[in-house]
Amino acid sequence: MNQNTSQRTVICTTRDGGYSLTFEAMASPCEVLLDHTDKERAIAIGDAVATEAWRIEDKYSRYKSDSVCGQLNANAGQQCAIDQETFQLLQFAQQCYDISEGLFDITSGILRKAWHFDGSENIPTQTSIDSLMPLIGWQRVTFNSEQYKMLAGMEIDFGGIGKEYAVDKALMLARELTDAPMLINFGGDIAVSGPRAENTPWIIGIEHPSFDEAHVVYVKITHGAIATSGDAKRFLQVGNKRYGHVLNVKTGWPVENPPSSITIAAPKCVQAGILATLALLQGENAESYLAMADIQHWIIK
Amino acid sequence: MQLEKHNKTPNLKALLTTATCALLGSATNSASAQDNWELDTALMYYGESDRVTAIEAIIAGQKTYDNDEVLSLKLTLDSLTGASANGAVAQPQAQTFTRPSGNGSYTENAGKTPLDDTFKDTRLQLTGQWTQPLTYAEFEDYTLSIGGNVSKEYDYLSVSINGNLARDLNNKNTTLSAGLAYSFDKIEPEGGIPKPLATMVIGDNDSETFEQAFEQTRIRADDDKKTLDLLLGLTQVINRRMIVQLNYSYSSVDGYTTDPFKVISVVDSEGYTQRYLYENRPNERVKHAFFGQAKYHFESTILDASYRFMTDDWEIDSHTIDLRYYIPLSRGHYIEPHVRYYTQSAAEFYQPFLIQGQVTPTYVSADYRIGDMNAYTLGIKYGMPLNSGDRLAFRVEYYKQSPKSNGTNAIGVLNDVELYEEINAVIAQITYSF
Repeated sequence: MNQNTSQRTVICTTRDGGYSLTFEAMASPCEVLLDHTDKERAIAIGDAVATEAWRIEDKYSRYKSDSVCGQLNANAGQQCAIDQETFQLLQFAQQCYDISEGLFDITSGILRKAWHFDGSENIPTQTSIDSLMPLIGWQRVTFNSEQYKMLAGMEIDFGGIGKEYAVDKALMLARELTDAPMLINFGGDIAVSGPRAENTPWIIGIEHPSFDEAHVVYVKITHGAIATSGDAKRFLQVGNKRYGHVLNVKTGWPVENPPSSITIAAPKCVQAGILATLALLQGENAESYLAMADIQHWIIK
Repeated sequence: MQLEKHNKTPNLKALLTTATCALLGSATNSASAQDNWELDTALMYYGESDRVTAIEAIIAGQKTYDNDEVLSLKLTLDSLTGASANGAVAQPQAQTFTRPSGNGSYTENAGKTPLDDTFKDTRLQLTGQWTQPLTYAEFEDYTLSIGGNVSKEYDYLSVSINGNLARDLNNKNTTLSAGLAYSFDKIEPEGGIPKPLATMVIGDNDSETFEQAFEQTRIRADDDKKTLDLLLGLTQVINRRMIVQLNYSYSSVDGYTTDPFKVISVVDSEGYTQRYLYENRPNERVKHAFFGQAKYHFESTILDASYRFMTDDWEIDSHTIDLRYYIPLSRGHYIEPHVRYYTQSAAEFYQPFLIQGQVTPTYVSADYRIGDMNAYTLGIKYGMPLNSGDRLAFRVEYYKQSPKSNGTNAIGVLNDVELYEEINAVIAQITYSF
């Protein structure tokens, strides 16, 4: 029995304009804000959203050996049967890889074996990084709608898209249950069903993740989604040089001077998530990259 | 490298949108495929002051299958009661008419437009349509639709079949379509089909001589007509705010187009009615219609404007302008004001009355519906989502029909009566979708 599974409960609390349904999923606090006056209905919607989040967590978490992700990793080197949903996610990962010219790669998580961003001075040796590089690269993966195969020793992880995908899926599901205005937030990845009453926007505070100051940027949205990428707490420091946790898959080393945090607005949460990740990978050029692509963003340096 | 990146980043959004559609869009489809029928129910009331009242109930269902095939079915039940103008002109004295069935008579008061009060019918109509994208690789931009319709009332049967092929071009920004429909209508009025231009027999309905004389005005028990329709359409997305549709339709009717319940008054030189003749219309009618519609999406509101021009070889030309303006309110509620203007010129054989002693034309009808007229509709619709996700809408409309003179001068006593009586009607509808 998994510890996470035992904590699977949804808590309903009253808030201004309706109800708030909170639960834990994908190692994050999750919430549904619903402008609805019927409590029973609100609880039913909260349950449906949480069930979808937990379903996706169970299916795609790399920490669970019996998940699809865990099974694909355990059987690396062999041909594995996949279902339709997994195929669609892999196809999406493939397209993101193409769009980013290889910078976004769901096989890059294995670099964690060399890098431990614990605030220490323990930067890995080039040798240990080099030993991992042959196990990274989406071009080493073959798949079709039925089967998936990667090289033995390789690993994939849906960390860069899974939570955002869960937000989009949960919102689609919930919208079939109600027309009431709603916001879904899975650990900072957020989507809304539309504006609140009288066309007012949802106001979302984005906390600065650094130690020293805790100023909050407020973002207003009426439609679509936002996602945030970046975590200033995860770094290594050697003398004056700080190594952030954003790794360049092509070199195996951290991207230089990425912003602390990037928040992106897009029609769907998966889009916002990918764009935030891609922008971080641009390092110093993140801001100009987003400006050039005409993407609405908020950057904390 | 820098230059290359510069070229590529503007595409980022578009590429990502496509990728996301594949991820979430198809997920939507597979989810909706498990859905049940989408059902619309509507109850409509139509009431003309002093004339026809109609109640209509509609239940319509639509189901979308896995590969975007769509089946829609609709059942309509209409119930009509009341009276409708029989074509005769008003007179300074009361007038008596034999009922179309020959069983009994009805009388209209002096100065009133004669109305046939036997107007009572119930109609049941079933419509079905199947639409599917073609799956053969070379026809993947094509959508095929086929359908049928059966409508039955006490003395009338109509069956039709239709087929339509649409092709998407230019990234689905342009759709061309061509369609064909064929219908067969059969009328079997109680009392039979009247002999064209025969004089209505009026008298003691129970007498044997009346029955014999009435039989002389009948030619057969039923008659029918066949209609062939061709439709060509173009739908064009102009930009993300505007969509335009243009249609041309051709319609050819062959068969019995006469209304067996309508008569025309024959008056003397002082305007007094001498007798009533059963009307007669040509056995053919060819119509051409041109239709243009534009929908424009402002920041939040949507304007839907359309214009139709119809012309036929009966010399009826009509123009219709229809405007709807969708205004969203908060929480999914909306209102939609509606204005419609219609004007038509009379058929060449339309006459409000005939004058005794003058040559009777081969084709003649005094039916105001094919005479000169203007009509206006003013209405408003209010719609709202319910917490259950169902939708409820109310519609109220006012309709005014103003028949006009086709240039015929009223003579004698006809100057003192209303030859072109206006019709005012109220339409109320409730729609519930779930």
